[in-house]
Amino acid sequence: MTSRAIIFSKLGDYGYIAIGGAICIALLFGLVFIHGGYLVTVLQLAMIYGIFCVGLNFFMGYTGQASFGQNAFAAIGGYGTAIFCVQYNWEPILALLVSMGIAGIAALVVGYPTLRLRGHYLAMATFALGLITYDISVQWTSLTQGYMGYSGIPPLGIGPFTVEGERMKLLCLIAVVLFGLWISYRLRASRFGRALRAISTSEPGAAALGIRVSQYKLAAFIIAALYASAAGSLFAHVVGFISPEVFGLQMVVVTFTMLYVGGIGTVLGPAIGAIIASLLPEVFRSTGRFQDIAYAAVLLLLLIFMPKGLSALADIGRSRAPRPRAEG
Amino acid sequence: MPSITELAQSLVNGVGIGLVYGLIAIGFCVIYNASGIVNFAQGVFVMLGGMFTHALLTRLGLPIAIAALISIVLVALVGVLVQILIISPMWKRNAPLFAIILATLAVQLLIEQIVILTMGDQPRTYPEFSLGGPLMLGPIAIDYQLFWILGCGALMVILLTLFFNKTRAGRALRACSQNREAAALLGIPVGAMLMLSFALSAALGAAAGILITPTQYTAYSVDGPFGINGFIAAIIGGFGSAPAALVGGVLLGVVQSGAIVVFGAGYKNVVALTILLIVLLFFPRGLFGGLGKRV
Amino acid sequence: MALLKVRGLTKRFDGLQANSEIDLEIPEGSLFGVIGPNGAGKTTFFNMISGFQQPTAGTIEFAGTDITNMRQDKIAAMGLVRTFQLVQLFKDMSVAENVEVGFHLATKGGVAAAVARLAWFRRQEAEIHAKARELLDFVGLADQAEQDAELLPYGQQRLLEVARALAAQPRLLLLDEPAAGLNSHETDALAKIIQQVNGQGITVLLIEHDVALVTRIAQRIAVLDFGCKITEGTPDEIKRHPDVIAAYLGTDEAAHA
Repeated sequence: MTSRAIIFSKLGDYGYIAIGGAICIALLFGLVFIHGGYLVTVLQLAMIYGIFCVGLNFFMGYTGQASFGQNAFAAIGGYGTAIFCVQYNWEPILALLVSMGIAGIAALVVGYPTLRLRGHYLAMATFALGLITYDISVQWTSLTQGYMGYSGIPPLGIGPFTVEGERMKLLCLIAVVLFGLWISYRLRASRFGRALRAISTSEPGAAALGIRVSQYKLAAFIIAALYASAAGSLFAHVVGFISPEVFGLQMVVVTFTMLYVGGIGTVLGPAIGAIIASLLPEVFRSTGRFQDIAYAAVLLLLLIFMPKGLSALADIGRSRAPRPRAEG
Repeated sequence: MPSITELAQSLVNGVGIGLVYGLIAIGFCVIYNASGIVNFAQGVFVMLGGMFTHALLTRLGLPIAIAALISIVLVALVGVLVQILIISPMWKRNAPLFAIILATLAVQLLIEQIVILTMGDQPRTYPEFSLGGPLMLGPIAIDYQLFWILGCGALMVILLTLFFNKTRAGRALRACSQNREAAALLGIPVGAMLMLSFALSAALGAAAGILITPTQYTAYSVDGPFGINGFIAAIIGGFGSAPAALVGGVLLGVVQSGAIVVFGAGYKNVVALTILLIVLLFFPRGLFGGLGKRV
Repeated sequence: MALLKVRGLTKRFDGLQANSEIDLEIPEGSLFGVIGPNGAGKTTFFNMISGFQQPTAGTIEFAGTDITNMRQDKIAAMGLVRTFQLVQLFKDMSVAENVEVGFHLATKGGVAAAVARLAWFRRQEAEIHAKARELLDFVGLADQAEQDAELLPYGQQRLLEVARALAAQPRLLLLDEPAAGLNSHETDALAKIIQQVNGQGITVLLIEHDVALVTRIAQRIAVLDFGCKITEGTPDEIKRHPDVIAAYLGTDEAAHA
């Protein structure tokens, strides 16, 4: 394979657009760094959501299933790390890792029965998970402080070394996102990743070749949960305060928008989508009270006219036969 | 441990709210059966029903029956608009399932925001349809509104059944549900049928909202819980028939009411959602079999 | 030695008897055909053997083990690999990647291995790539290796399915109407490939509608009609059997034949 072909295959479906996009993003980050201020926090959030989306993309993109409840695992990560650090004075990194572990176990327990469902039923069941977690975080005030939220969460760090200062935090988050992307890429281009991608387009075909479909779906679900938990914990440490709203319905819509914009099933898609979708609301901030309406309206227009997201644009450069509508 | 009286009272309350859930559930089923789409924004129609009725009552001083009817028509129009402007174009462009779901969620957000801007974010309510105290059966209080819910609910189910069995449009819609391609080949205008299904579903949702508002309240935020509970009822019933959806709703309402008495009001949604998960996992086709053709 | 033993296999759907009391033994190393008119129950039969449908009654034994209610992937792991009448390609993947998925059973390594990428893992990946190319060469698709699988013309999609199934190193290869929709040229190529596969020692069980193809390459044929096995024998015996002729042509014409 020529080196150009290797680069393109590694970048997934994007090819030229990816290279151009990468340069733009690098410039953007550079500018924000130099300028400082509010945009730095916007990009921080973008990175946090990006990590969440890389995980969600893993489950949805590579296995072709839909989970509308990953925010539940983000809540576990966020509240877990907050409680461990504030109540029990743990080291933040340790709290983050242990919370990931808890989220992973929760995903295993919950995923095992739930993943037998498909299509709308799976969407609804996972949606229910997110709602249940939201309600519990509101009701179980002795643990989570309910609506008031949890404050005083220490910044990320280990031992004497802490990550403070907005630019430092952003750098740290970028590093985490890149690490997450790297893992995601490694998983995709492997026996494991191939099995997942096979499952996403034909479960009978995969089963007939000896792939234990339910096990692999569950593995992808757990991986997505781990990413979501990490994102939740990072949010807690970077912002210092969490509340049930952070991990509520808004998160579901925002992260899905990001995935949709960036392109499901591609390697870089989630990160790119996160950046674009985080900057988009800033454009509407000037509209004041109409901000949310504008956001929802633009999202709807995008969905109606480009139901496959920006990856539809990338497909223009590449000949693809139109796919028939999949059922269920 | 709650007393028998409390439990019996919760049973009565549960039936009332459960019938409303059932009506919302029927709405879900109508759209799903005609188009294969689960309209996650169904709750919005419920909310709009209550909100429009309240506005018509207070701003125009119309009698409740007129206000209710006008509201239902208006909400049905909203449903048709949603179908024409959003669902239909996406469907024709082969949008992936999650994108359509995302779109219905976005529609819910959008309409909520518009309502906040135009009607404010305060909860509001209007009086029960017939004034007078609750009917007392011993220590148990039965609101008059419950009888209205029962009566109107039964009336709507009868009208629906007549519609589906005796009218051309209704039979055409049923044909669409069973096999859209064959229906199209037989000359049934599928696009119009989809619009009809959204209109019906919106009308049912609006009616549900109008009926239940006097017993609690209405606000921009009630769409979420009603939508979810309606969907749960639909799943319990199995997406098959209107009576099944009603029974599903009543079951949900009763269990939820009982849970409130036993566990406290805050865990009401947790209970409902747990029921949903249990039903999905152990009765994947609902308690009454029903569809599952798209699963 | 019978590799596959089917006893009394029955499948009832709510009023329709798709398969009735089928008894069949497939000797190891043979090229066995199953034919029958449309609706005879051939695909149901296949689905039950490969674990995609549960029998209402009867037993299935593969290499001495009872596989009657076994999960599809476990059956595949035992060496019984099938293709599908409606091609189940992995649409988002290239032709070569489709075949690489087939090597799943023959290889190992999960999440940890994928991330760590130790030397053995990289070696295994290289082997998978190389062997996939070999199989594509074998079925004549070497030139299309990098193409999107869904862009392949129909006939080649079927060949891809066969290559992919071979990657799973089957002891018994179940081919579900592999020649459906192929022209005579493509059918000849397919016939040659099937015979070569069988020549390598792989037992082949072939459902086909194209009677000419089956009588040409199969060593033994079973005939199904209305869910029952009406007869079994060598191609010559089958061609001359009056019940078979009646099943395909109808009794009136059989009387005049």
